[in-house]
Amino acid sequence: MLKIAIVGCGKIADAHASQIQRIKGCEIVGVCDREPLMARQLYERFPVKQYFGDLTELLGEAKPDVVHITTPPKSHFEIAQLCLERGCHVYVEKPFTLYEEEARRLIALANERKLKITAGHDDQFTHAARRMRTLVQNGFLGGAPVHMESYYCYELERSYAAALLGDKQHWVRRLPGKLLQNVISHGIARIAEYLTSESLEVIAHGFTSPLLKSLGESEIIDELRVIICEKEGTTAYFTFSSQMRPALHQFRVFGKENGVVLDRDHETVIKLRGKRFKSYLEKFLPPAVFSKQYIENLVSNVRAFLAKDFQSKSGMKYLIEGFYRSIVEDGPLPIPYREILLTARIMDAIFEQLNARQLPPRALPAVSIGSAEELRHESAAVHPLGSRPIRAVEGKARVVHLLEDISGGE
Amino acid sequence: MCSAQEDGLIIGPDDLILITGATGFIGLRVVENLLDRGFRKLRCFARPSSDAARLEAVAKRHHQAQVDVLTGNLLSPEDCNAAAKDAAVIFHLAAGTGQKSFPDAFMNSVVTTRNLLEAALRQQCLRRFVSVSSFAVYSNTQKPKRRLLDESCPVEARPELRGEAYCFAKVKQDEIVSEYGKRFGTPYVIVRPGYVYGPGKPAITSRVGIDTFGIFLHLGGSNKIPFTYVDNCAEAIALAGLKKGVDREVLNVVDDDLPSSRQFLRLYKRNVRRFRSLYVPHFLSYLLCYLWEKYSGWSEGQLEPVFNRKRWHAHWKKTGYSNDKLKARLGWMPRVSMAEGFKRYFESCRDGKRNA
Repeated sequence: MLKIAIVGCGKIADAHASQIQRIKGCEIVGVCDREPLMARQLYERFPVKQYFGDLTELLGEAKPDVVHITTPPKSHFEIAQLCLERGCHVYVEKPFTLYEEEARRLIALANERKLKITAGHDDQFTHAARRMRTLVQNGFLGGAPVHMESYYCYELERSYAAALLGDKQHWVRRLPGKLLQNVISHGIARIAEYLTSESLEVIAHGFTSPLLKSLGESEIIDELRVIICEKEGTTAYFTFSSQMRPALHQFRVFGKENGVVLDRDHETVIKLRGKRFKSYLEKFLPPAVFSKQYIENLVSNVRAFLAKDFQSKSGMKYLIEGFYRSIVEDGPLPIPYREILLTARIMDAIFEQLNARQLPPRALPAVSIGSAEELRHESAAVHPLGSRPIRAVEGKARVVHLLEDISGGE
Repeated sequence: MCSAQEDGLIIGPDDLILITGATGFIGLRVVENLLDRGFRKLRCFARPSSDAARLEAVAKRHHQAQVDVLTGNLLSPEDCNAAAKDAAVIFHLAAGTGQKSFPDAFMNSVVTTRNLLEAALRQQCLRRFVSVSSFAVYSNTQKPKRRLLDESCPVEARPELRGEAYCFAKVKQDEIVSEYGKRFGTPYVIVRPGYVYGPGKPAITSRVGIDTFGIFLHLGGSNKIPFTYVDNCAEAIALAGLKKGVDREVLNVVDDDLPSSRQFLRLYKRNVRRFRSLYVPHFLSYLLCYLWEKYSGWSEGQLEPVFNRKRWHAHWKKTGYSNDKLKARLGWMPRVSMAEGFKRYFESCRDGKRNA
């Protein structure tokens, strides 16, 4: 029996506890929150053996095999580090860490201790996401992806927006990437899964939406467009928007032969045929083919529902199951470390550019197009987050800063 | 209106009163009620994101009084200390409302209440802590007086099974308040209003029915709905914080002349807007709740257990309500009649519709 603990007893911890209790061969031996009342409420609502207000007590008394970290992102690194040092495997909610450097150190520590660690990118394990992965692995695209588009939009809930906008001390504001850091990793991780190179260009453009501006907000960026390019390889667009409707959660991947569109909201996977039909058939047959595919998706979703496997967080169950299996059987991890690091690296590069753009004009590095090395030197001197360097990209990769972005024009 | 010097009150007009949630639907009326009673030192606590304009307007109308608006977060012990400093009476109305998440509702109701109780304990000058709870805490089963729901009725023993984060949070809030009363002697009163209605809150209570899939399912039928007009409720809360001899009491707040769900719906349609509704008889709503509950359990939460037998008992079972204790212990009387309350409420709903 695998002994599980949850650290951080807020909203997402509920989803973890719900999914863990659906998995055979494990039990929640303890939950912990520095606010003991929060730990107790989780303990009272789920089959949990003990609750704690102190992490070291949890690790010492409950002796978990696996710790799920569901605290705010700022504390992920320290808690994960402590858990690994105490011999626990670790599941860290997204975003994995604040910086790539922290992610790298955690993975190195896990490897050193022969332990396993994973990131909570559960969106990649929904029924539709798994169907898409199988298609791609079976060569449907006709080789490596040529181009990808990831839409990860967000409908700012009124209560959340009010809390975030009204509270200048809100923890989300203190993240390097603020609201974006707490939200975009699912959409970035989708791209990272299919990137083959470590060498990337990242071009980010972000701004505060007119809506937030009208509410007096200027710090929070809620509109983001990103171009990601491998050198002479795959390219990708990433879009985050709080304003566009529908608020898409889509991933489109195109190969040399065919393409696939994954829609998380509708749980559909649609195959895009690369070859054209002859003449007017191109106008008549594709709609029929798409109709057939949508019906197949409908049947697949209904089947999953009837098999009681269509929970809103069923992707999390598959990710957790995969992670536990990799621990028990010492098999491959459900999310390769490379993918976690690439996700962190792209996010670092995005926030670095956005934060540089928000600096007062005189302090800006006078760079329109420059190397990562140049950028590192220049931005380290003026970085608003102090001495901690944010790594954008490594080696020969280039980061492109559009001059008009830096100067604040929209 | 009684004067602050009136015998039978635990504080005088210059004692400091703290009101949390002061910019809210009920909080604002409590502030106004206290000012009308002649209390001159009020500290109003609100979230930074709150709109304090109406509160400022109320304060302006009572310029002889000192009304301080303090913004902060009750999750912060420091903010709680600042809020509770020198307060003789605390009216705690701030709460997490409308939250579907259990942890969020719990944090914004229970952790905040504990922080405030702790802060009050440190001050050692508190004469009463008024915790505003809700009818949502009652299980509405095994009542001592059959169909009558009053303060002697049991609260939910397993509120987590009701599928309502608000109910869970309020039960736990009541528990922590009474725990502080027992352990530290904190003088408290728990006030449990029924459904508070009035201008500014256009929604129809789910006790009447639910609007879903384009049709309004009328579930209340001939049930009495435990309405209390916002001004009447504010008056009860104010008295609960001021009157001598009610420490550690629980007081339910409902108005007189409660209408049935059917009567209310008819009036609403006639006065605000017409819409299609479908009456669901009680046996059928119970059966649907039962089936939903069973399916939710069987499917491991594929459908959230938002409809279940516990909720049916609490919301849709035929029940009578009493305000006898409130009248006897506080001398409260509903100043706004049900007819007048509905008139004002419907007018505001119509205005809201026009402005929408």
